[in-house]
Amino acid sequence: MLGFLLRRLGDVIPTFFGVTILVFLMIHLIPSDPIQMRAGERSISPERYAELQKEYGFDRPLVVQYFDYLGGVLQGDLGESFVTKRPVIEEFATLFPATIELSIAGILFAIIVGLPLGVIAAINRGKWLDHLTMSLSLTGYSMPIFWWALLLIMFFSTTLGWTPVSGRLSIMYYIEPTTGFMLIDTLLSDEKGAFISALRHLILPTIALGTIPMAVIARMTRSSMLEVLGEEYIRVARAKGLAPMRVIMVHALRNALIPVITVIGLQVGVLFAGAILTETIFSWPGIGKWIVEALNRRDYPTIQGGILMIAFVVMGVNLFVDLMYGVINPRIRHKR
Amino acid sequence: MALLEVKNLTVEFGSEDRPFRAVDNVSYSVDRGEVLGIVGESGSGKSVSSLAVMGLIDFPGRVTADSLTFDGQDLLTMSPGKRRAITGKDIGMIFQDPMSALNPCFTVEAQIMEALKVHEGGSKKERRERTLDLLNQVGIPDPKSRMTAYPHQLSGGMSQRIVIAMAIACNPRLLIADEPTTALDVTIQAQIIDLLLKLQDDSDMALILITHDLALVSEAADRIQVMYAGQLFESGPADSIFAAPRHPYTQALLEALPERSEGHDRLRTIPGVVPGQYDRPAGCLLAPRCRYANDRCVVERPDVGAYNGRDVRCFYPLDDHGQPTGQTTGETV
Repeated sequence: MLGFLLRRLGDVIPTFFGVTILVFLMIHLIPSDPIQMRAGERSISPERYAELQKEYGFDRPLVVQYFDYLGGVLQGDLGESFVTKRPVIEEFATLFPATIELSIAGILFAIIVGLPLGVIAAINRGKWLDHLTMSLSLTGYSMPIFWWALLLIMFFSTTLGWTPVSGRLSIMYYIEPTTGFMLIDTLLSDEKGAFISALRHLILPTIALGTIPMAVIARMTRSSMLEVLGEEYIRVARAKGLAPMRVIMVHALRNALIPVITVIGLQVGVLFAGAILTETIFSWPGIGKWIVEALNRRDYPTIQGGILMIAFVVMGVNLFVDLMYGVINPRIRHKR
Repeated sequence: MALLEVKNLTVEFGSEDRPFRAVDNVSYSVDRGEVLGIVGESGSGKSVSSLAVMGLIDFPGRVTADSLTFDGQDLLTMSPGKRRAITGKDIGMIFQDPMSALNPCFTVEAQIMEALKVHEGGSKKERRERTLDLLNQVGIPDPKSRMTAYPHQLSGGMSQRIVIAMAIACNPRLLIADEPTTALDVTIQAQIIDLLLKLQDDSDMALILITHDLALVSEAADRIQVMYAGQLFESGPADSIFAAPRHPYTQALLEALPERSEGHDRLRTIPGVVPGQYDRPAGCLLAPRCRYANDRCVVERPDVGAYNGRDVRCFYPLDDHGQPTGQTTGETV
């Protein structure tokens, strides 16, 4: 198991360097430069411009800038924001829990709803239940997040008044952040009702963010289940006289989960992309919103650092997923 | 009373108005301690008929029969739960490809103990001991270390032994072996068949041996049943069928055996293939491939009739010299 872990880690390292190069180059390929952006409508004198270029180190060749940046990254220094002058890593750390909270809620929603939908569709293949669940999932998949989120707000918040429109917590409460996770912080605090408020604020963003992964998981589970249900060992399990439920939930699902877990891992990337939109719509103070703002201001260190950290998290999750295969699928665990 | 009694079993697939009959009114019975060999080409309905006995034919397949009784109990009318209590306990089944018959996610012991748990209960320790016994019984070397092995760590022959152990775990009274050696290499084939026959003999269990290996059934089976395109063509005691086949198809099958082709340049074959859903002849299903077929065979479908102590589905069963009876010469087409 340790060897397996080390081998997978070995795969992660080149990816990490690739991401740093990509992020760095992409930023510098965007037209317009940060000094002009900060100068705004007032123009800037060529002398002052050159001075600032020197200050930020933009006068050096790109390669030198890159290695300078990489050197910092390897020491855990992502630079500091041009705008707030605070270290990027610090800003990231304060905002990231909000995004994690939303993403975990989103992926949990996707799994809890998507997996059973896929299983139900598979065992009712070709019947109306199959068609219903698959049409629903296709609809969910085709729904752009910004549109779907607005529909949800209009219906549940505005018309029915069941959930708040935006934010993480009602303004009636003030919670001192300890973990950064609102659900945990409100539970730890003495404020009565704060937890319920946090939960209610989480519902709509979760659904908006989790719908696409849910649809993907449902469809993947269905096709994977159908394939496994046709396997000989399923027939053998039935020939043992096992109840249909046990055959499906134990013998089929465990094998069907292997490709589904890959998809769940890949959805984490999709989730962060979706978080950018979702956070903007629901005024959710997470890194999605933070990166969008940084982009608008050409705040290079923030954009670079933010994307790098997201890439890092996505790689971490996929590494975890790879390790999960080993747990579920003995053939991978034993491969030498 | 026979242990398993099948009367006019029919299995259909496809739409109601244009069904495909994979098994067409097949009747047979198996007695306690008897070995019944079912032979036929691929697509003759051998496997499907035994899956129907196990209750493993899924929608959209339809199973009908005048009666399907095991030990006097009607399998078709009993509740699914009651039927499951018989499947896997009193009737066990072994499948063709051992490499895909074991669930890749579970250890050997988990898969065998599961069958024991469902039908016999008992403590985990008892079940584990019984599993170890079973592995010994089916001739697994070093059974203790194999208990925790996963299927991908086992060879084909070893896997088939595990599958057999699983099937006999609850001491079934009937074991259905569906081409148990097809996927194995020749040296292992003989070992597996010997094992099956030994188990059958030791526990007086009935065995249905489905195969297309005639040489194998000739040695192993008490009775043989020859199937073709879902129909029963001939059935009777094994030795007498080999001595004097009464159906032209059986005769042709026997002639195709390599050991009966001595003195010929090539092995003898039966031209053509088993008819499928869309090319079923109107008359006898064998007519297009039968060397004795005449005009009557092409238009009229024969029923099963008794002839010299056999059941034969042919208008002109063969005599002791291998010639069709009741057919005037020159009539063949």
